[in-house]
This record gives sequence, structure tokens and C-alpha cells, in this order.
Amino acid sequence: MEIGLFPRPSEVYDVVIIGGGPAGATTALYTARAGFRTLVVDKGLTAGALGMASKIVNYPGIPGPLSGAELVRRIRDQAASFGAQFTTDKVLRVDLRSEPKQVWGGRGTYQGRVVVIATGAMGRTRHIPGEERLLGRGVSYCATCDGPFFGGKEVAVVGNNDEAVEEALTLTRFAARVHLLSPTAKLAVSPELASEASDHPGMTIYNAAKVREILGEQHVEGVRFVFQGEERTLPVAGVFVYLQGNVPVIDFLQDQLPTGEGGCLLVDENFQTPIPGVFAVGDVLCRHLKQAVVAAADGVIAAMAIDRLLRGRKKLRPDWS
Amino acid sequence: MTLLGDDVRQQVVEFLKDLAGPVRLVVFTQEFECEYCAETRQLAEELGELSDQITVEVYDFQANKEKAEELGIDKIPAIAVIGKEDYGVRFYGIPSGYEFTSLLHAVRTVAAGEPELSEEGKKFLAEIDRPLHIQVFVTPTCPYCPHAVTLAHQMAIASPNVRADMVEAMEFPHLAVKYQVMGVPRTVINETVHLEGAAPEPMVLDKIREALQEAEG
Repeated sequence: MEIGLFPRPSEVYDVVIIGGGPAGATTALYTARAGFRTLVVDKGLTAGALGMASKIVNYPGIPGPLSGAELVRRIRDQAASFGAQFTTDKVLRVDLRSEPKQVWGGRGTYQGRVVVIATGAMGRTRHIPGEERLLGRGVSYCATCDGPFFGGKEVAVVGNNDEAVEEALTLTRFAARVHLLSPTAKLAVSPELASEASDHPGMTIYNAAKVREILGEQHVEGVRFVFQGEERTLPVAGVFVYLQGNVPVIDFLQDQLPTGEGGCLLVDENFQTPIPGVFAVGDVLCRHLKQAVVAAADGVIAAMAIDRLLRGRKKLRPDWS
Repeated sequence: MTLLGDDVRQQVVEFLKDLAGPVRLVVFTQEFECEYCAETRQLAEELGELSDQITVEVYDFQANKEKAEELGIDKIPAIAVIGKEDYGVRFYGIPSGYEFTSLLHAVRTVAAGEPELSEEGKKFLAEIDRPLHIQVFVTPTCPYCPHAVTLAHQMAIASPNVRADMVEAMEFPHLAVKYQVMGVPRTVINETVHLEGAAPEPMVLDKIREALQEAEG
């Protein structure tokens, strides 16, 4: 039995960045290089849009082709070389008005004088038929939370990224069998994680599976999907969904910042939100051109503004009168 | 063997160093047939050692039925967290894992007797004129759950008619079945209305309104 303060409080960083894609990692590169204690909290290398991209050939100066995950890794390594720290965690909640600002994750509490939101736009709006209706009745988004309810039962995990595979592996500790339904022909994870999943005796992987419906009346009774051209139904008691979409990821903000159409964040020319000391960069913004180099450039402008703010220079003013 | 390690003790001392008033942890336990009774008692006692403001009282659930009834305790292990008055803040099952944080938050807020809620929320809750029971089902490994538990406890502190329980679903499987808990946090209000996930305050208040309307209708 583990008892302790969860999440454990961290030291106070100058800059806490939520999201480690090109926008977040580039902000970190610049703020760390400017001497600010910088922490990036990120769900995993392949959690974001760039991390999922298979081939990049138009990032200036890098002819490629290289994978999005490799490009993200290079930016992160460069940021880390200047002292930026990276931690893998999922941010659940924030308090942007406290001093220092609080970021609560599943594994830790992170405190920053400045917070940068760089969570991208892979949130979901569309659901699998049956998903909303059976939420909490076998449909779940958290294996560590709900895994114990499925002891000895069969479950399905829908997704193909780090989070999906890690959660599927967690579920093998409880479930009689875990069926991993990947929407793509190949899992979008590192080769090591992919082999851990495929070698696991308690897991069956269905690549390029198209999930059609989650079945059940009072609770989940099965999942219907198309695999290798055939429609199949698996009798499962639980379905854990880790799919991604294309809307800004802002659920953890719980309405602390105003949003534009579709839930995108609004910023001034310095990428500062209406709350002083809170910045937003990359695809989470409104009218954002979804290109890695644009996201990276946002990060640079925000980092410059953060530098002025933290050094107490007066030039930076909130642009929200 | 202690449940709280040295580093955790230090963090707890720091967290509880400026408690606004005295807090009683009233623990209900029994010797046999209760999976986590001994550990729950030990956890409360170890916590009591870390602040001068905390006192721990331990009762046997069978031998002290009157006391249990007085505090509305109907299952064990149970901890009632009581400040200068009994706000109805309860933990059923051991508050381990992520829920230890909920216990610390409950201690701190009960000590102050002042809920950390919006002004509208406090006003609405203070005006509730009939009993309202909030049960938040959790597992110790759920990082989202303490938010739901702490919010429910704050609501209990805001109103003399609201009581709020953390219920560890694995320790009370019959309740998990009764309330169809297959995912946590799941908040059940007055037996009828339920809410999935760690919802923000306004959403929980809406559900409370719904439960009150159902009671009227």
C-alpha cells in the first residue's frame, strides 16, 4: 500500500510548460538558454500531432525525411542541453491565478512563476457510437483509475499512441485479456514499447481496426469493429478509449481562460493570455497554421516575452484593455 | 512498521503547519472481518502525531453503535473529520494512495471551517433546507478522484444539510454494484443523481439542483 502526498509538490520553476511538442519544446529551449529554470510536462513523445507524423521533409534546415517523433526528440534534446527538464505526466488541472501558478498532474504538482500552454489540438469532439452513453458503465479513459473494476474480465483499448499502449499494459495486470484496437496499421510508439505490447501474453493487437460501436444496454457488453475487411464483435466488459481528434486540448483549464470558436485560446502579440504570466503557443491557439515551424516560432516569441516579464522589464504589458 | 515514510511525514507537517483550529479524526473500526480497519486506524493515529491540532478517537463499530449512529456511520473502516462542528465530512475505506491527499485537504478545510468555493456556490449551498447526501466513489490509484472528493467535502462544510462521503469502491463492492460503479470518480447525489469524472464546481452544483428538484417532484 502506497501512502504519500499525491501529487508530490515540486520546487518552484520559473517556467512550467504544458506540452512538449515543437511549440512547448522550443519555448523551453529559449527560456532554459536564457537561464530560467524550465520544466516541460508532457504526456509522451508520440502524444501530439507532430509526434504522430511519419515523415517530415519541410522543416527548414532539416531536409529529412525524418519522423515527427524524431524531430520532437531533437528539439527536446536541444532544450535539455540548455538545462530544460522534461517530465512525463498528464496534466489534470491548473490554478493560473495563484502565485506561484499550480499545475496538477497525475504524478506531481508543478509550480511555476510563468505557465505556458502548448497542448496542441488533438482533442476529440466526435465519439464512438455508444461511448458517451456507456461512460462510467464500462467506457473509461483511465486504466489506473478503473482497471481494478475489470479483474478477470476481457477489455478493449482503442488507440495507437504511447498513452494507449501504456494503459493497455497497465490493464494486463487486472484483465483476463486486453484487446488493443489500433486505428493504424502500425502502433505509433517506440519499437521497444511496441514489442513489449506484442510480446505480452495477455494482450492481442488488432492493427488497422476501425471501431464502429461500443455495445451494451446497462453496461458495456462488447465492441464492434472492422478488421481485415471483416466485421467482428468482441465480448468485452470494458472499453478504454485513447483516440485523438483535432480540437484544442483545454479541458484541464476548466474555464480559467476565455476561448474562441471551437475552444481555441486567445493571446496577444506576445502570446500572453488575459492572465498575466500565462502564455499559450502552437496549435492550441485560434487561427493557427498547423505547421511545426510556426509552432516553434510562437515558442520563440513567447520565450522572449517571458524573459522580459521575469526580468521585470516594463516593455511587456498585457494587451487586453 | 509505519505507513507514512519519513519524507511523507515531513511534507505532511509542512502541509498542516498552520491549521486554523482543532480537528478530531473519529475512527470506526473493529477487530475482525474488516480488510483495512487496522491500517485505517494506524493511518489516522500516525497523522495525529504530526499536528498538535489533531486528536484521534477510535471506536469499535459494534461496541459503540450509539456513537456510530450519532455520527451517521454505517460501514467501516470510517473516519469522520470534525472541526469546531461536525460538517458531515466522512471517509469510508482507507484513504490511501491519492486519497491521502483528500484526507489532508479535509483536515485543513475543516480546521478553518471555511469552504474554498465560489461565492455563488457558498450562497446556494447555505440555502439548501433539506438533507443532501453526496457519495464520491474512488479507487486509491485514481489521480482524478481527490478533486471530486475534496469538492464534495467543501460542499458539506458550506451547508449544515449536506454531508459528503469518500467511498473506496474496492472495499465496498456491494455499494459499487448497487450504484453501478464501473469507473471513478463517480459522484452519487441523494441515491438518484450521478455524475462521472472530476467535474468543476458549477457542474456539480447543477447536479445538486437536479437532485433537489427530483426530491420535490
